[in-house]
Amino acid sequence: MRKELISANQLFAMIILFEMGTALVVPIGLESGHAVWISILLALPGGVLLYLIYSYLYQQYPNMIISGYTQRILGRFLGWPLSLLYIPIFMYNGSRNLREAGDLLIASSYDQTPIFIINAMMITAVIYVLNKGLEVFSRTAEIYLLIILGMGLICCFVVIAAGLVEFENLFPIHAKDWRDALTSAYPSIWTFPYGELVCFTTILPHINKFRVAQRTGIAAIILSGLLLSFTHAIEISVLGTNIYARATFPLFTTITLVNLANFIQRLDALVILTLIIGVFFKMTIYCYAAMTVTADLFKVKDARKLAVPIGIVVLFSSFISAENYPIHLDEGKVFMKYILTYMCAAVPILLFIVHYIRKCLGLLR
Amino acid sequence: MKVKWIIQPPIYMVMLLLLTSCWNSRELNDMAIVTGIGIDKAPNSDEYRVTFQIVNPSATATSVGASTGQPPITVYTTTDRTLFGALRKTSRKAARQLFFAHTQLLIIGESMAKSGINGLFDVFERSHELRLNSVVIVSRETDAASVLKILLPIESIPAMAVVKKNKNTAKLWGENRAISVFELINTITGEGEPVISGVQIYGDLDKGSKKSHLEQSQVEAVISLSGLAVFKEGKLKGWLDGPEARGTMWVQNKLEQTSINIDSEKEQDSIAVIINHSKTKVKVNLREGVPVFHIYIKEEGSINEIKDFVDISQRKELYKLEKEIALKTKGEVVKSLQVAQSMECDIFNFGNELKRTDPKAWKTVKKNWVSLFAKGELDVHVEAYIRSTGMRSKPYQQNEE
Repeated sequence: MRKELISANQLFAMIILFEMGTALVVPIGLESGHAVWISILLALPGGVLLYLIYSYLYQQYPNMIISGYTQRILGRFLGWPLSLLYIPIFMYNGSRNLREAGDLLIASSYDQTPIFIINAMMITAVIYVLNKGLEVFSRTAEIYLLIILGMGLICCFVVIAAGLVEFENLFPIHAKDWRDALTSAYPSIWTFPYGELVCFTTILPHINKFRVAQRTGIAAIILSGLLLSFTHAIEISVLGTNIYARATFPLFTTITLVNLANFIQRLDALVILTLIIGVFFKMTIYCYAAMTVTADLFKVKDARKLAVPIGIVVLFSSFISAENYPIHLDEGKVFMKYILTYMCAAVPILLFIVHYIRKCLGLLR
Repeated sequence: MKVKWIIQPPIYMVMLLLLTSCWNSRELNDMAIVTGIGIDKAPNSDEYRVTFQIVNPSATATSVGASTGQPPITVYTTTDRTLFGALRKTSRKAARQLFFAHTQLLIIGESMAKSGINGLFDVFERSHELRLNSVVIVSRETDAASVLKILLPIESIPAMAVVKKNKNTAKLWGENRAISVFELINTITGEGEPVISGVQIYGDLDKGSKKSHLEQSQVEAVISLSGLAVFKEGKLKGWLDGPEARGTMWVQNKLEQTSINIDSEKEQDSIAVIINHSKTKVKVNLREGVPVFHIYIKEEGSINEIKDFVDISQRKELYKLEKEIALKTKGEVVKSLQVAQSMECDIFNFGNELKRTDPKAWKTVKKNWVSLFAKGELDVHVEAYIRSTGMRSKPYQQNEE
């Protein structure tokens, strides 16, 4: 079978869409109050550093995904079960994104529709694109990046033009705010959304040149970090810390307030579209990661055959995992703190260190 | 291959059905569009008496056709302990499901305002239909239901007319302003106290709710904006009128335009100046534990009317007038501040300002902020500039001397 290749632009688009996926719409890093936008910026260097580790590992094993080199570095007995852990984590995180999108849709407009139907519709699209393969998916990402950025520009413009932005809500930043910002940046914002890029360890082997992968990746992370910080700064400046912290979807509330000349109003659809597009890409990348890791570990020849089973598991776990949205958020905190941090950051760093030591000692075959 | 042919068509059929997204469909002719909501306190109980003003579609259609003779709106009143309960209970009276996405106005009856408004707004935040930018108004010396019942000329839907009146006067006269549910929630959760515009009915209420009164040039009942309701801990504490209300807008930096009359040498209030640009900066700090409110106002205006002779072609005279404007402004601002201090209501968000700029100092005064606010010192600076004198320089009345 021919190896699927993706270009630098496509990687760039995928990383940005992945980062923007849900982080744009749901509140993140609540501990830091009105300084959330600063904590996003503070977490950015950490995110870039993590990506450097991922790309270093990719440089060492250009044809392998994370499960492959984990087994190489740690040995089969340790590496295989450790890589196995990635499958449920990727799937669960994908299902969380699906749940958030479904819940926003239900809360905002489809109040009578069961969540199963909404989520099933979305997962169908994911399964379809996974069946078509990574190349098709990455070309879609290129197109949708333009759409997302265009909608983002429109949203920002109308919010600013409507005179809703009040900078008093963002400043001043006192010493205590800096401390809060730092504690919410590490580890919580560091892992979500930056650490989630661990999925891209399964996509990087599809890029031919290491330099390209590294450079475009870092550029994309920095750009998405800046965009995220900007968006959340606008959300807080419009809503104030209190409503921002209580809103289930602050971006949505922000946009509903827009009323430009009694003519441009009710732009909620833009936010919902942004979320659906973002979640589609994020979820597909998660499913793709889960799919390739499974195929690699269990020696499945054609990974695409796994699209349907993985899609269905993600669909069901999306609404079985929590009976309502607050519980879902609660689970998210625990998941992020005790699992995601280790799998996104600790394991790759461990791999990096072990690999480095073994390389220095000349123990690698 | 054969399996594919069996499986695919049913899948496509189901997808076709689902992708129409008709699961939630609500057709236009199943909806009753609510434009205004009025909340009163039900007499002798804790229940809300909620009034909905609903558009009567056949009567408001602008196209030429058979006039039905019905009024453009109709009103339903329901009592319940919660707002949402009341709006669902209204289904017993209304033939269509109430639809709230176009609700522009929320009127709070005076009785309700007196017994507390802080609990009213949760449904506006939580619901996806109700909008956070609906305008909130308090009905003065009457209940919210009667305000919603009155039919008004020019704007066929009264709730929209009231909202427009509020925005209009906020823009031109500056004693009121349109405060939205969103701002109100932000004020309630902050350290300050809210002020809300009031409306009053002048005229005959019973005649005003009949369509026939619109057939004369002077209608029987008029709804007019009237003063600012001041709340303390969610309860109506008093009303600000005239200069006090305008001073409040000035301090809050919400004044868009206004007209003030200043004295000439001979006559009182004989020169009308329109203020078309005004900016207020507020600083709050503590001096030996007592807050000091520094207020800096910069305003620009033009002279629009002079009743007797003032030689405004002379620089000296204009400076005098500018000083006069500044003095007058300062007078109104100080008056509003003093009234608020006597009510012990921090309606200017001074507490929030201190909390924002100096959280450490705020912690020391947080507990007795209300009494400290009342004791706070005032430091008001006004700079006024006249930018234009209109189409003439000297007035036509000549100096007799």
